[in-house]
Amino acid sequence: MFETVLIANRGEIARRVIRTLDRLGIRSVAVYSPADRHAPHVREADEAVAVGSYLDIDEIVTACRRAGAQALHPGYGFLSENPALARACATAGVVFVGPPPEAGELMGDKLRAKELAMAAGLPVVPTFTETQARTAPYPLLVKAAAGGGGRGMRVVHRAADLDAALASARREAHAGFGDDRVFIERFLPRARHLEVQVIADAHGTVLHLGERECSLQRRHQKVMEESPSPAVSPPLRATLGDEAVALARAAGYVNAGTVEFIADFDDPAEHYFLECNARLQVEHPVTEMVTGLDLVELQLRVAGGEPLGLSQDEIRFAGHAIEARVNAEDAARDFLPSAGRVLAYRRPAGPGMAGVRVDDAIEPFTEIDTAYDSLVAKVIAHGADRAAALARLDHALARMTLLGVTTTAGYLRGLLATDEVRSGQIDTGLIERLELPVAPFSDEQIAQAAALMTLAARHDERSDDPFDRADGWRLAGRRAPSWWPLSVGGGAPVELRLDDLGLHEIERTGDGSWAITSAGERREWSYAVDGDLIWVGCDGHAWSVRRSAAAAAQAAGADGDLRAPMPGQVLLVHAAAGDQVRAGDPVVVLESMKMELVLAAPMDGEVTELNVAVGDRVALDQPLARVVAPS
Amino acid sequence: MSVLRSHANPGADEFQENLRANQRLVADLRGHLDRVAQGGGAFARERHTGRGKLLPRERVDRVLDPGAPLLECSALAAYGLYDDEAPGAGIITGIGRVSGRECVIVANDATVKGGTYYPMTVKKHLRAQEIALQNHLPCIYLVDSGGAFLPRQDEVFPDRDHFGRIFFNQATMSAQGIPQIAAVMGSCTAGGAYVPAMSDETVIVRDQGTIFLGGPPLVKAATGEEVTAEELGGGELHSRTSGVTDHLASDDADALQIVRDIVSTLAPRAACPWDRRPVEPPAVDIESLLGVVAADLRKPYDAREIIARIVDGSRFHEFKELYGPTLVTGFAHIHGHPVGILANNGILFSESALKGAHFIELCDQRRIPLVFLQNITGFMVGRDYEAGGIAKHGAKLVTAVSTARVPKLTVIVGGSFGAGNYGMCGRAYSPRLLWMWPGARISVMGGEQAATVMTEVGQSEVGAELREQYERQGHPYYATARLWDDGVIDPRDTRDVLGLALSAAGNAPLADVRYGVFRM
Repeated sequence: MFETVLIANRGEIARRVIRTLDRLGIRSVAVYSPADRHAPHVREADEAVAVGSYLDIDEIVTACRRAGAQALHPGYGFLSENPALARACATAGVVFVGPPPEAGELMGDKLRAKELAMAAGLPVVPTFTETQARTAPYPLLVKAAAGGGGRGMRVVHRAADLDAALASARREAHAGFGDDRVFIERFLPRARHLEVQVIADAHGTVLHLGERECSLQRRHQKVMEESPSPAVSPPLRATLGDEAVALARAAGYVNAGTVEFIADFDDPAEHYFLECNARLQVEHPVTEMVTGLDLVELQLRVAGGEPLGLSQDEIRFAGHAIEARVNAEDAARDFLPSAGRVLAYRRPAGPGMAGVRVDDAIEPFTEIDTAYDSLVAKVIAHGADRAAALARLDHALARMTLLGVTTTAGYLRGLLATDEVRSGQIDTGLIERLELPVAPFSDEQIAQAAALMTLAARHDERSDDPFDRADGWRLAGRRAPSWWPLSVGGGAPVELRLDDLGLHEIERTGDGSWAITSAGERREWSYAVDGDLIWVGCDGHAWSVRRSAAAAAQAAGADGDLRAPMPGQVLLVHAAAGDQVRAGDPVVVLESMKMELVLAAPMDGEVTELNVAVGDRVALDQPLARVVAPS
Repeated sequence: MSVLRSHANPGADEFQENLRANQRLVADLRGHLDRVAQGGGAFARERHTGRGKLLPRERVDRVLDPGAPLLECSALAAYGLYDDEAPGAGIITGIGRVSGRECVIVANDATVKGGTYYPMTVKKHLRAQEIALQNHLPCIYLVDSGGAFLPRQDEVFPDRDHFGRIFFNQATMSAQGIPQIAAVMGSCTAGGAYVPAMSDETVIVRDQGTIFLGGPPLVKAATGEEVTAEELGGGELHSRTSGVTDHLASDDADALQIVRDIVSTLAPRAACPWDRRPVEPPAVDIESLLGVVAADLRKPYDAREIIARIVDGSRFHEFKELYGPTLVTGFAHIHGHPVGILANNGILFSESALKGAHFIELCDQRRIPLVFLQNITGFMVGRDYEAGGIAKHGAKLVTAVSTARVPKLTVIVGGSFGAGNYGMCGRAYSPRLLWMWPGARISVMGGEQAATVMTEVGQSEVGAELREQYERQGHPYYATARLWDDGVIDPRDTRDVLGLALSAAGNAPLADVRYGVFRM
């Protein structure tokens, strides 16, 4: 076994690999970019080497040499599937913890991998000639051979429509690509994403560790993964496992890898090879939890030339595991990446958290920027059966506190609560079809919690200054209401009036947490302040509440008239009267004094007037358009 | 430092009698404050809010930091004046924290006669500016006023301390670096137009605020021009064309938010000239104050009973305890601020006056603000005392009070009569703030004494009239109606009111001391 291993990665996976290295008594070496110099993985490793970038092969290999690392674990992402790294390691005499370069390259090439899969007897998506298509099971997909981006693509539901579809696809393909060749393949309108974990040693042992279902995806990004799949029967499991093993064997694969399939939603037995991942996957913990194996340990042993020392019969599957990816993204804003400083972070704790594993990238005060992957934590729950695992995962997400950065934790709870997820009726298009209520609380409730905790925190600070009290003190025992102009999550301003604080029961339950009882319902809230922002959390959800609602007030106070700031000529008109626009959307672009001046909507609302057209000359201060906020 | 203990017995009849009488006085005060807080009455309030405007108190509440206290000044101004048609004199003033900064807020109450300026309105506005000047507090004017109350133009326009003084004050304060901020939330006509115009930074509410020297009727009369108020001086005009205003707000709430944003851009305040300590609550419960304070002014009680209930930890380092014992002097802290307290424990003798003068000089040297607890019938009279030079000794006290540069705060807790008022920092001695308790009395001498004097000089009929007149005019409501003080307070608020005032007073830097301490 190795004495020193370098981890060419960051975030939760670097920490996770370090944990196994620690347990095995192997010295760990981290690398870090300048932005990550305070990151937890840097401190947790025995040694850390600065690099300019996680993608610089020369620097990473030099770091191995400097730190005396005999092996390199690539994690996932970055260089993990770049055969050049594996080759550079080989040249430098460093063991690459992953497949040999040839196998990695083979698997990385989709076309060659598909050919190999066919040769190894794996089902691949069937294609049909025009003649075959007339009698093939429908629906079918007509695709332009030179196509891409959906152009020249037609879904055909019955044979009668085939000719028309072919004709129109050819027309479109010809127009789009100057090439009217099309082909016809099997179309799965609802598909499940299944994948099989394999591990192979250099001595000819190839094992599968069961399947994972990753159908809960958003724009091809996995959101939740579980093992076993609720749709896979024992015979199908055996088939999938055999196929994955056969492929790995055919490729001469060594180390951990994943073979991905798509399967028909209604009949998962109908499944097709999709692609191979020649690395450890983000979702590997669910496999670890049901098999009790440490995949990183197995990877290291195999890379060190040790035999697996296990047979397929010895792999046991116990219970059910499910992983939720908590990302720094704003579900309310189409999963836009969010950034910020972690103000408060508490892993789910307490009774009932046995069987919960959290692989995270953060700790209090970690800066999260959008330069890297948005994954901040993986919460993995194990239970005797699927229902128990799901319930435990939901409970764990509810007990997690993460303030300072908007994450998907609350969204994930909403997803877990859907009938489809609970019943396992999931497919790759489900998430995009679902319309989840983003917050179970109204803005008023959230704002009120923020205001109450601000008051309570101020009260607890016991300031010397009587001006610091916040109870609306007035002469002769009278109290004025306090006014809180707040905006929840950048939304519309909420003007909160707290009349009598005595009506609200609030009790400190810990550092930065309070229990608020309102209308007889007691809930635990977390609280942190970052300048003008108040962060509050409840039941795994978290919101930023802006004090003074400066931005919102500005929008409210903005004049809806867009006037020409300079005399000039209208260059572009982006909206028409009656259009709905959001604050910041360009409405009219003027050209004036060789500058392009964008006149943007000052607030969300409707364009009620548009007085100019492209080419019009306009005078200084001339009203060009008017935006009216919805009342 | 010794800890004062109360010698009051809550079980005693006297305590219970005091308690009942003082509770009545406080309930009466609270009733008046509640009534005044309603401004010009239900109809005027409805009309005001019907225009989409916030009520003046709501404006004040909302410009303040959420839940921040307001040390309101002279809430009962104009009480009993002008047929009681100008509650609070139609203006709300006070000290409160805005964007973390203590400010003086002056808000017109348009529900009271359109926010026009009665004589007491002018006086209250000027007094608020004086508080701002003395304490270096930024001024926020929430303007909604029709200008001078025309029927009383002779009492509001021509004299030095009349309407024009408002703008003089704005200019001179601005010149001293005391920010002047205005939000125009209604009319700002004629002279009133200068409140925003003279401000450093100004906000106006669209379709609501107007500023013009002459309104549409006056314009029509003068030149025949027909113009709407909005065209003549609305927010759009002044924000886009005239430049009289700097920010255009969509409504009251928006305007108040902009004011808060403006305050957050101000230069930092000066450091507090004295050191603060962590606060300790008094060891004696302030609630029991109502039982120890004699309801009958003629009944003496130990002033230390008050001190024990208002100072931090009830800790009091008494100065010259054994000399001139009718004036209690000593050092303490209130809400963490150091204070030198002077409290009457009987009539002033030469020794007590000298002791007071000495103590004031000590505090001035040490940058310790002074708190006067005034309960004084006057200086001792008689041949021996005149021969002993009580007039010149009293003069020393008055000189010390007048010239001490440290902030002075006065609470009239009992009688405030004659030269005792001078020696104990009455209104004429410019204490930063001055309040009365509801049971206190203020006049040149007691009504009884005045009647006796007149009887002695052979005019007993006049004497009887005087007794009645002095009783009426010496009442705290009569006094506060005329701005002789900054408000009548619940005695139990004394500690908090002093704490707020000390915090506010700490905004102004102190001048250098010019003399050493004279031992007298």
